[in-house]
Order: sequence, then structure tokens, then C-alpha cells
Amino acid sequence: MSVVRMQPVTAAAVALVLALPGFAQTPAPQSTPPPPATKAPAAAAPPPPSAAPAAAPAASPPAQAPRPAGAAAAPAQPGAAPAVAPAAPAAAAPQAGQPAAQQAAADQPPPKVDPKIFDEALKDYFDNKQEQAARKLYAFIESTPPTDENFAWAQYFLARCLIDLNLRHGGAVYLAKVAHERSNPQVLPKTLEALKVLTQVPHDEVLIDEQIFGSLDLGFLPDSVSDYANYQQGLVDLRVGNERWARTHFVKLDDEGVEASRAKFALLVTRLRNAKQVDDQMIDDFLELSKDQKLTQEARNEARLAVARLRYEKKDYEGALKAYDMVQLPSLDPGRATLYLEEAWTRYNLGQLRATIGLLTTLDAPSFRDEFLPDKYILRALVYRDLCQYLPAKRAAKELTRRFSDSLEAIRERDDLTQDFRLRRAANSHGSTRRTAKFLESLNLEGEQLGRHAGGFGERLYKHLQKVYDLAHAEAERLYQQRLQEAVREEADRLLRADEQVRLMEYEVGLKLYERVKRGAKLVQPEKQPALTSAQIAFKFTGEYWNDELRSYRVTIPSRCIEEGAQ
Amino acid sequence: MKRTLLLLVCLAPVLAHAQGEELENPGTVLAVQDRTYRMASELWIGIGVAPLDAFYKGVTGQVGYVYHFSDSFAWQVGRGLLSYNIKTGLRNQLETQFGVSPTAFPQLNWIVGSDVMWTPIYGKTSWLNSSVGHFEVFGTLGGSVVNERIAADVASGSGQTVFRPAIHLGLGARLFTSKNVSFRLDFSNEFVIYKGLEANILLVQLALALNFGGTE
Repeated sequence: MSVVRMQPVTAAAVALVLALPGFAQTPAPQSTPPPPATKAPAAAAPPPPSAAPAAAPAASPPAQAPRPAGAAAAPAQPGAAPAVAPAAPAAAAPQAGQPAAQQAAADQPPPKVDPKIFDEALKDYFDNKQEQAARKLYAFIESTPPTDENFAWAQYFLARCLIDLNLRHGGAVYLAKVAHERSNPQVLPKTLEALKVLTQVPHDEVLIDEQIFGSLDLGFLPDSVSDYANYQQGLVDLRVGNERWARTHFVKLDDEGVEASRAKFALLVTRLRNAKQVDDQMIDDFLELSKDQKLTQEARNEARLAVARLRYEKKDYEGALKAYDMVQLPSLDPGRATLYLEEAWTRYNLGQLRATIGLLTTLDAPSFRDEFLPDKYILRALVYRDLCQYLPAKRAAKELTRRFSDSLEAIRERDDLTQDFRLRRAANSHGSTRRTAKFLESLNLEGEQLGRHAGGFGERLYKHLQKVYDLAHAEAERLYQQRLQEAVREEADRLLRADEQVRLMEYEVGLKLYERVKRGAKLVQPEKQPALTSAQIAFKFTGEYWNDELRSYRVTIPSRCIEEGAQ
Repeated sequence: MKRTLLLLVCLAPVLAHAQGEELENPGTVLAVQDRTYRMASELWIGIGVAPLDAFYKGVTGQVGYVYHFSDSFAWQVGRGLLSYNIKTGLRNQLETQFGVSPTAFPQLNWIVGSDVMWTPIYGKTSWLNSSVGHFEVFGTLGGSVVNERIAADVASGSGQTVFRPAIHLGLGARLFTSKNVSFRLDFSNEFVIYKGLEANILLVQLALALNFGGTE
């Protein structure tokens, strides 16, 4: 149940990889958008019974409305590959056992429905009967022309129903339709706000970030989303390398808003990526940004890390250490492995060998066991070599080849590197590959959940959503594989470089191991370890890692080097 | 001679193993942290029981002040206890059925005293692998003055009291909840010196302690 740790009182050139999307501030994710206005739009603008003649949509379905079968179910999905689309997990099972009669029924033209079904659907929605509401809203959308004044509201509320049922991508598709079609100006602000909330969880970046926020006409947007849209459009410009255009968007941001701070951050990161030489002004800018309370803690930490990395590049190691110390972690948060590794390199360059080993001890913690850190083994071997502890140095160097032997073998054999477990995990751990993997994972989960609503949604909506999810899954899978290919190649390069260094190290240490000791040789005087102060407490480390101790390891290790000038 | 050789032969592998281990895994690792909680001036208030006497049970309230010279050594400058006594069924039975005189039952009234406090253990504990709590264990040794009333006088309302010296010995644990607030659980015993005999007053107490001026 509980573990007790007691201590008697008496015992008392790091690579600067700053991927722009990774720097984008990510607010705390919310599972669903905020609840809509309690007042139903139908109450404000009830659909006149004569406004939507039932026969017309049945005979000729509107071009923009979702079509039941055969037609493009997800018009917003770019570059989909339906010919090779693998079936989503949710789609496969229900389809297998489906009678042919039901399949045929789903392919039938949409049945005529009474326009009053829209009011009933809204009542169901506000009574928290999302499944029934979704079925009715979809029937309404299918049989109503897009010119109907409630058409956009129906799409919006169908999206809300789906989001409430944790089918976020399905909801996003319908919100995107409302944003694209813009048939009802009253619906648009709510739609954009709901889409903005969806960007906080894994989402289709092309559909929402690029096709909606990245291409919106900004003239008519409400204040609540205009800053966000400007920020997104600026980001799109930055990604394609057009800082001047990005600035035209960023200058429109409210200075007091969070987007303004995020925009500053994005600009700095972009400038840093393009800069040939780091100047002090850039460091100061990052430092200032790290104090900006409008940014999230994570973004402020990123700014501090940027300061530390820049100072390291300028060989200001003391300054870099100060910046690393400024990184604030939540209580009991283990932090990030790269943070410790970078700090370890900094301390190594300062000659703090024992502190370096302390940080490398941290990196052996279970929290970081799955991290892909080939540098760790090189650094450990370097420290042991500098302390003339040649056996441990050789062992540390060999550890890399031992641990990554499968991956190295796969690289040498020119196997498909995406199938290598370690490289794949490393590639999935950061950047755009990570985001795509998360989106793919969320699609899989939502696909499974969709199957649970098969009965409640009815045949037509269920089949339609299956198609939407199948297309999205196929596209996400394609994008993921594409990004994964590039990412594993980068990780393989890193591993090969580390392997090469380790072999050199092994050779060097091997020579040292068998070096003859001269007569009268003496070991160098051991360094004095700083004594514990009265305000400090020491716990002997026995292999059990406590998250609150990860930055506190102090290693006592003797140097076995021989004094200079021995006979 | 043979024994010595045999001993050397037996010890040689052990020594070789130890040396090999030292060569392969040199050094020791300590997790050195700043103490999260440090006491300075402590004011505490507690409630407890005096459960030992068979003829009455005392419900006690106690306050005290402790000055901490260091993290391990402190002086409990003063403490004062007041006891509310409840007769046990045994005493009622003795008095009513067997005619035992009430004067035979002295009972605790109050105690004041002062002690030194030694805190050799400071540690931390994990709760459900989700949070870390800090605690310390201490011992106290000091002197007390115990005030007792003769039971017969209590019954008649005359209120005669006697003062008796006592030696205080205690063991306690403190659980920190913040830099300024902690909870103490104390087990202590007053060895009352009375007509050459020793009588024990065992006290169990839970206290809220407020810390003022603790260093960060």
C-alpha cells in the first residue's frame, strides 16, 4: 500500500531541434466542447412547414448535404485513398454480419421526413438523448435542401451530438461542413468555437487547422475566434517560410491575448531555425517569453529550454545551467529525458563529472526506460574514461550496442525500419509523427465506439459515419506512414552516429586498459565532496527511484587516474 | 597454519568478487535533497486519553510550546495538561457493592512539565504511489509536576489536591502537511514518584502543531 523511506539524521553539442508545431502552446485538453446555448435555434427561428418540401430533397439530394451511400461521405478529407483504404476496426465487424437486406436498405434514397423532426431532434438533444437526436438530425439533413434555414443548425447539432458521444472526428466533419458552407451566419461563431475546442485534442490537422482556420475569411469573424484564426493562419505562413505574411496576421492579434504570446514564440522559434548565428538578443527574447504568464507552463518551459540550448551553443555553460534550473516541473512530475541529458552534457563540459553521472543515473529511471537516448551511453563512457575508470567506461560503451543490437542489425540489413520496435517508438515520441499517431489512435478508439451506437443511430447514419471514419482512418494511416518513414530514418541516423562514436570510445579505452603503469605512480588526490549542510537530507540510493529525487542524485566515485610526472 | 590457509582460501573468492564489483560499478549514489519541512517555533494543542488506570479514564487536553534548536534537537519549553476523569464500571462496582472507600482512588487533575526532544528520524512515505508525505519520529525526556485529587474529596467537594513530581518519557511521530502545519501522535508516560513507589500515568495524544518561522 505505502512505501516508507527513512533516513537517520546522523547519516545525514546538443542538437538544437526546435520543431515549430511542438512549440505551439497546447492548452489542457478537454474531452468535449463547452455546452451550447440552452435555447434551441428552432425556437428562435422555427422552420416553416412549407419551407422544406419533402419531395424535392428526396428526388434530388443537395450537393453539399451528406449523402447516404456511394457519394463522397467526407468531402473535407483531403487526399483520401479509398481504393486502398483499410477498413477501420469499427467498420469491419458490424459489416461482416450484416444481412444483405440491410445493406440494400442503406443504399436506398433517403426517406421523406416531416420537417418537424428537427424540433423533435433538438428536444432529444436537450434531453440528453444524443443518439436519437443524431438519427433524426441526419434524417432531416438528408431530406432537406441546404437552403433551408435550419439546415446549418441541423449540421451543427448533429456535430454536437457526435462530440457528446465521443465521436469527435465525426463531429469535426460536420462542423467543418458548416464552416465551409457558411449558409447561416448565426451558426458560424458557435461552430468555430466548437472547432477551436477540438484543436486541443488529437484532431485532423488538415481538416481543421489548415482548411478551416488556415483559410478563413477573417473579416467577419467574432472576436472569440478571430485571434485564434489569425494565429493559425500566421502559423501556416511560417511553416511555408513566409515570415512577412505571418507577421501581417500576427500584428492583428490582441496584445493582451494568449495568441499574441504564442505568436511571439512561434516567430522566435522560426527565426532560430533560420538563424546562422545566435545573438544575445534572441536569448533575451526567449528569456522574456519564459516569464510570460499568458503562456502555459509547458510553453514557458520550452522557452527556458531554448535559452539553455542557445547558451550552450555559445559555450556559456554556467548560463545554460541557470536556464535549466529555471525549468519548473509539476510536483512529482518526472520531467523530460532530454532535459536531463542536455543538462548532463552541460555539466560534463563544465567538468562536473560526478554531477553528470548523477543525471545519467536519473535517466536510468523507469520513467525514461523507453526513451531513445543513444547519447546517454556515450556520455557515461566519456565520464568514466575521464575518471580513468576504464572497465566501467568500456562496459557503458558496449551497453549501447547491446541494447540496440536489433535496431543496428535492421539498419545494416536494410530492413524496413518502421517495423523496428525501438526506432518506431522513438519516431512516435515527438513531432508531427507523434501527433499523427495520436490522431490515428483516437480514430481507432472512436471507430470502436461507433460500433456501440449502431442500434441507436439507425442504419443510414451508422453506415454514413462508418464511411467517414474509414476515409479518415485511411488518410491518417497514409500520413502517419509517410511521417514515420522520415522520422525513423532520422532516428536511425542518430543511432548510427552514436554507434560509431561508441566504437571509437571502445578502442580508446581498450588502449588505456592495457597501458603500463609507471614506477612510483600515485593516484591523483581525491576531490573533496561538499559536505551535507544542516538543511539537507541524504537518502542512499539502492536502485529505487522516487520522482521527487530525480534531480538530486549525488555520486561519489573515485578517480583512478595517475598523477602527472610519475617516474 | 592449516586453518589460516583454509580461511584465506575461503575468503579469496569473496574478496575477488568485492573487488570486481567495485571495478565494474564504482562509486555510491545518494539522493541529496533540501529538507522540505523544518521546525522552528512550535505551538501545539492536542487531545488524548489517560487509559491506564483501571478506576478512571482521563480525557485530556494539552497545550505546549517547543523551540527547535536544530532539525534533531529541541526543547519543549512548557506543556500543560488538564484531565477530565470518567469513573470506570469497576470503580462503581467496588464502591457500591463492596463498600471500598473512595479515598483509595487518587485521580489525575493536571500536569505541567518541560522536556528535551530528540528527532533522530526524518523520512518520507509514498501514499498509493501518487503523493509523497514527510514525517519524523522523536523522543522526549523531561520532568513534570502532577497534580492529583483525592477521590473522596472530589465526591464531597472539598477539593484537596496533592502535587507530585514525575519523570516524563515519550515517543512521538509527526506528519507534515505543510510548512506551518503538522500533526503529532504522542505516547508518553509519567513516572510519578510517590512515597517511594512509582505510579505510571500513560498518555496517548493527537495534536495539531503550528510552526512559526521555519526556514524554507
